[in-house]
Amino acid sequence: MALARAAGQAGPGAALALLWLLVRAAAPPAVCAPGDSGYLRLSVADLFDRVIRHSGRIHSLSTALCAELENRFPARDNELGKPARRCPTAGMLTPNGKEYAQKIPREELTYVILKLLHAWKEPLSHFNQHMEHHQELPDDSLSKAKQISKMVHELETGIEKVTEKMQSMGIISNSLHGMASSEAAGFSSTNEANMMSDSDFIHCFKRDSNKVQCYLKILKCRIMPENSC
Amino acid sequence: MDLRHLLFTLALVCANDSLSSSDDLLRWPQISKCRSPELETFSCYWTDGNLYNLTAPGTIQLLYMKRNDEDWKECPDYITAGENSCYFNTSYTSIWIPYCVKLANKDEVFDEKCFSVDEIVLPDPPVHLNWTLLNTSQTGIHGDIQVRWDPPPTADVQKGWITLEYELQYKEVNETKWKELEPRLSTMVPLYSLKMGRDYEIRVRSRQRTSEKFGEFSEILYVSFSQAGVEFVHCAEEIEFPWFLVVIFGACGLAVTVILILLSKQPRLKMLIFPPVPVPKIKGIDPDLLKKGKLDEVNSILASHDSYKTQLYNDDLWVEFIELDIDDSDEKNRVSDTDRLLSDDRLKSHSCLGAKDDDSGRASCCEPDIPETDFSASDTCDAISDIDQFKKVTDKEEDLLCLDRKDDDDSLPTLANADAQQPHTNTQSERSESWPPFADSSGSASPSVHTQLSNQNSLTNTDFYAQVSDITPAGSVVLSPGQKSKVGRAQCEGCTEQSFAMDSAYFCEADVKKCIAVTSQEEDEPRVQEQSCNEDAYFTTESLTTTGISLGASMAETPSLEMPVPDYTSIHIVHSPQGLVLNATALPVPEKEFNMSCGYVSTDQLNKIMP
Repeated sequence: MALARAAGQAGPGAALALLWLLVRAAAPPAVCAPGDSGYLRLSVADLFDRVIRHSGRIHSLSTALCAELENRFPARDNELGKPARRCPTAGMLTPNGKEYAQKIPREELTYVILKLLHAWKEPLSHFNQHMEHHQELPDDSLSKAKQISKMVHELETGIEKVTEKMQSMGIISNSLHGMASSEAAGFSSTNEANMMSDSDFIHCFKRDSNKVQCYLKILKCRIMPENSC
Repeated sequence: MDLRHLLFTLALVCANDSLSSSDDLLRWPQISKCRSPELETFSCYWTDGNLYNLTAPGTIQLLYMKRNDEDWKECPDYITAGENSCYFNTSYTSIWIPYCVKLANKDEVFDEKCFSVDEIVLPDPPVHLNWTLLNTSQTGIHGDIQVRWDPPPTADVQKGWITLEYELQYKEVNETKWKELEPRLSTMVPLYSLKMGRDYEIRVRSRQRTSEKFGEFSEILYVSFSQAGVEFVHCAEEIEFPWFLVVIFGACGLAVTVILILLSKQPRLKMLIFPPVPVPKIKGIDPDLLKKGKLDEVNSILASHDSYKTQLYNDDLWVEFIELDIDDSDEKNRVSDTDRLLSDDRLKSHSCLGAKDDDSGRASCCEPDIPETDFSASDTCDAISDIDQFKKVTDKEEDLLCLDRKDDDDSLPTLANADAQQPHTNTQSERSESWPPFADSSGSASPSVHTQLSNQNSLTNTDFYAQVSDITPAGSVVLSPGQKSKVGRAQCEGCTEQSFAMDSAYFCEADVKKCIAVTSQEEDEPRVQEQSCNEDAYFTTESLTTTGISLGASMAETPSLEMPVPDYTSIHIVHSPQGLVLNATALPVPEKEFNMSCGYVSTDQLNKIMP
């Protein structure tokens, strides 16, 4: 009885307080525009822009390095020599066209991007070590290679962060971890990579950096609902 | 197969021989290019060559193979891309996968090519070029426009599958060389400072961002400002460097420089244009002397000129010209009175004058202002033992005897009662006492008289020295006081008892007259004083003696002697540079023998003396 009376007396005030807390929790911050998804996507888009710019720089660097290496070591005429040009990521299944990139789910696309970047980290480090032992190459090429390796690391970190943000937002599901283990065998061994020439190696990487850039662009387009991607 | 091969080869050889001279060489079919406009499809183009016109027409096939394929496949589409082309649509296109295509005619492979699609991207040209006027300059000659276009429709830029760069080129209509701008990502570009009166052509091309090759150019956009309805000013051709003006001004400058050089060389012209500024100059005189203040040299130089004036001389030179040459032995012959007065020897030889008539302005006969040395010299005089009292006349600062008349009355009585040994001072009492010694001693009266006379003469130190009294052989002119003394000999009374029987003493005529006057007219002392003081003439001893004998005679002569001595102030003759002859302005002085005159010589006497 005393409790009931106390509850009855405290009831209106408590109800008001509770109501106020709920409103506070439900309503977004005053700065935000109505519709929390738009607010959050804007930041993702901004993140994507940065990531895309980063990948574009990687692509430019690799193109320049490839041109320098091809000037020094002219490519063989027979480009069809498939064993000669065996890229480290040759075994990877990646969408080879825009339609394919649009068709696959966004999680898979995100995963492909991450896989590509991850696959190139170790070969690039090996390549750098190999290049340093090479006294013939100019310092400019060596610095480019080192920068490429560093930027690939940074890009992977950035994309992982964007992925986490997307997963936290619910844009993509959390099923990425399942895919990673199944695709682990797609990587080529480092032995084959060592047999390649430097120019072929960089040529492969250049192509893959272009892939990453295009995938990121498509992914960004697909995340924004207003674009008809 | 083999026969065909042989025929083919023969045909080739024949064709080579026959067609070697012509320009139409044998060409093999070649794959000219394979390009992908949007990174989604690609197509390959080839050329036929000349071969098929001659040999049996076959079909050329384009075979392709991907990396993972095992066999060659034929082109899926020969039509879409045009003649001699093969079009691969999106289903046949794998982007990052190496392709190999080959041009073959059944068994013959003409050409082969391997590539990757992402490497052969050549975008289509942009479309929908247009321009808008941004603004015009204030003069209306130049204007800014903005050109914008759309990306090629095939390229999926919107989704970002491909990123394109654009390059704009423009030129004037009648020019041949295009101006290029930097490749940029935006689809609009401003063009600044276009001439409004001219027409322009603009074209744009694009390329993939990371590649180096550009696609085809777009259609040319014609920019004409008149069509836009914008007012513009037809401007003349751009003003080029005004060579004409440069030449004109350069020639003028050169001419002016040449003229100036010529003028500087010719002194006459130079004088005409730049006349010399007159500078003060005297012929023969170095301006430096004037600057240094060496008047001695200047004066010596000027003296050589006839037009030299004595006004240039300063007062000091009066002293110079009045210098006395004591050492000249010739003077002894002349026995100039002044010489005797001035030289110590003469003081000794002659009866001691006691008073030195220094006509250098310092002292005259009447001036008692006598240096001590002179008196010391006079001490040697034997005849002046009585007048040792005059030694004490050394006080130059005391008044002259003739200046103070107050004591005259007092001294007069004393004169009569004065002793011979009365001390003689320069005071009035001294003056008055000087007479008694004269009166007492006759023998020694002469020097005392003379001293008295000289003392009297010393009273006339304010005389105006305008009379030439002596000219020394050295060329110096001795001047004497001109007219009168204001005071002076008035007190020369009390010589009543003086006897003028002197032999070699000199005394003033005036003194004698005074004495005479005093003796004759005692009551007329003032008058006699004045009379005596007005006189400067001196008597010679002979005259004195002659006059002394008979005072009456002397009295009679005194009037004549009282005649004033003329002033010689006007220059009669100038014997440059030896001397000048002065003319007397007053009555001529009566001739007197110049013998032992009291220091002053008239011109006439001088003329007699001078050889």
